[in-house]
Amino acid sequence: MTAAADLFARFLQDTDAMRERGQAALRALRGLGEVRVGTSEKTRVYAEHKVQLYRYAPLARSARLPPLLICYAMVNRPYMLDLQPDRSLIRELLFLGIDVYLIDWGYPDGADRFTPLDEYICGYLGRCVEFILEQNGIRALNLLGVCQGGTMSLCYTALEPERIANLITMVSPVDFKTPENLLSKWAQHIDVDLLTQSGNVSGEFLNLVYLALMPFRLTQQKYVNLVQMQGDRAQLENFMRMEKWIFDSPDQPARAFREFLQWFYQENRLVRDALTLDARPVRLKSVTCPVLNIYAANDHLVPPSASIPLGAHVGSADYEALQVDVGHIGMYVSGKARKSVPANIARWLGERNPLR
Amino acid sequence: MSDSNTASAEPAILKAWDDYAAACQALFERFSDPKGDRGGAMPPAFFGAFKDFAKNLGMPSELSGASHPKPEQMLAGFLPALGCTREYQEIVKRMLDLAAEFQRCCAEFMEQGSDIGRQAMEAMRQSAQEEGVLSSTAAYYDAWIDKAEQAYAQAAHGEPFAVRLAQLCNVMSAFKVERGKLLEALARQLDWPSRAEVDSLHRQVRELSLAARPTKPTTRKPRKARVK
Repeated sequence: MTAAADLFARFLQDTDAMRERGQAALRALRGLGEVRVGTSEKTRVYAEHKVQLYRYAPLARSARLPPLLICYAMVNRPYMLDLQPDRSLIRELLFLGIDVYLIDWGYPDGADRFTPLDEYICGYLGRCVEFILEQNGIRALNLLGVCQGGTMSLCYTALEPERIANLITMVSPVDFKTPENLLSKWAQHIDVDLLTQSGNVSGEFLNLVYLALMPFRLTQQKYVNLVQMQGDRAQLENFMRMEKWIFDSPDQPARAFREFLQWFYQENRLVRDALTLDARPVRLKSVTCPVLNIYAANDHLVPPSASIPLGAHVGSADYEALQVDVGHIGMYVSGKARKSVPANIARWLGERNPLR
Repeated sequence: MSDSNTASAEPAILKAWDDYAAACQALFERFSDPKGDRGGAMPPAFFGAFKDFAKNLGMPSELSGASHPKPEQMLAGFLPALGCTREYQEIVKRMLDLAAEFQRCCAEFMEQGSDIGRQAMEAMRQSAQEEGVLSSTAAYYDAWIDKAEQAYAQAAHGEPFAVRLAQLCNVMSAFKVERGKLLEALARQLDWPSRAEVDSLHRQVRELSLAARPTKPTTRKPRKARVK
């Protein structure tokens, strides 16, 4: 048999096998039903408009640390941090005795289109911090900002340094104009005023942008790999939870989104010390509390080069960077991150416990 | 002046009117006959009259689009919007212009995509020469995805890609703005709440809530967390 004929015969065999696996996967998918996300027990303790503040029920004896407030990005839903019991950063933190609060920005609609960015940072985030401080009778809490939420947390900490005992940023962009930052390159020529003139920016639009970062992997290979799961129910459920999260993108409030894109992506104001929020200058040098910067080595959304410069800009003498060998989403759900990130957070916070 | 001279010297506008009246009559008869062919073509006189009329004014006379494949060219020679519907005509014209612009940007963007495909295929060919036959169809597929992503990333990081993508986005945004204006007008006509009205209300609510906001959030007594 010639090499070409051999190859063709193998192709036919593989195609047959693929078809069978595909049928099994489709049968199993049909039987899955609605997947559940965000499974840890939590209570809503504060709410303002669409913004909700949750407190998670403890799962272990308290580590006697100040509460940890997680500020997630506005561009995605925060249940990614508590996707399922065995893939939950929040659950791991609870098992380590940390008192966890989480801000959920909700699904902004037309009523939010004129809400400025400083209202989200100095207003909603600020009032959530104030609420937790009062509820716990303490003067400063620990803040964990994730992705865009990390950038917002940095801004808040720079403006209100006395309220933050320790700051952790996770896969958060700081320098928005580095050569590896594809989103930033694309954002430079966008007419942001025009984009937001007709209202909020839809989640569907954002989804398309994210897919366009790696179109072949995210629109083709991912679904071909689904077939390889051969109907494994647990794997398929994991897949569907991720699929739900990826496409469950909230619309972005027009004004806040415009300001974020212009001030951060287009003008890179944060690292240029040129940002003003709530009529107050935001200086990263004002961030003097201990800072832990966790970034992903293979992050296609926030490349390491966008996060690493934080150390050079903050005023803190206690700065630590932790690189995890995962991608952006892997930081929340991968086994590798699960083994190192929560334990490192707990260790780092424990070493800097102001209540001790 | 003889009759024949009168006929040959008949002004174009009168001829157009006669044609128009005849076409209307033909159309009326067609619709009056219950067994008639109501779905038939429009009487040519309609277009014949328009063609003469347009030709005299130096406007494009061919409406079928066959001689003007690009909508912006079709519209370029028309008169500016006139009359009491002028503003709506302007909006529609801008939307048509933007739709044409979007098509053009899309075509440019797709052309870029075909370059990426060619580069990926070339990379596959080279890798097949260097690495030989792969073990399975799945391995070929994965290799294709890798090469395609590499070729895409190379293009996507370039300035021309970013410019074309932004053009697409900007044109789409501009179209949405114009569409919003039309919907706004429609809402006013039907006495529906319009976007402008709702926006105005949101602004007022925001101002009121800022004025009424307490200096501190609602406080509750500290609560100890209990281990489950």
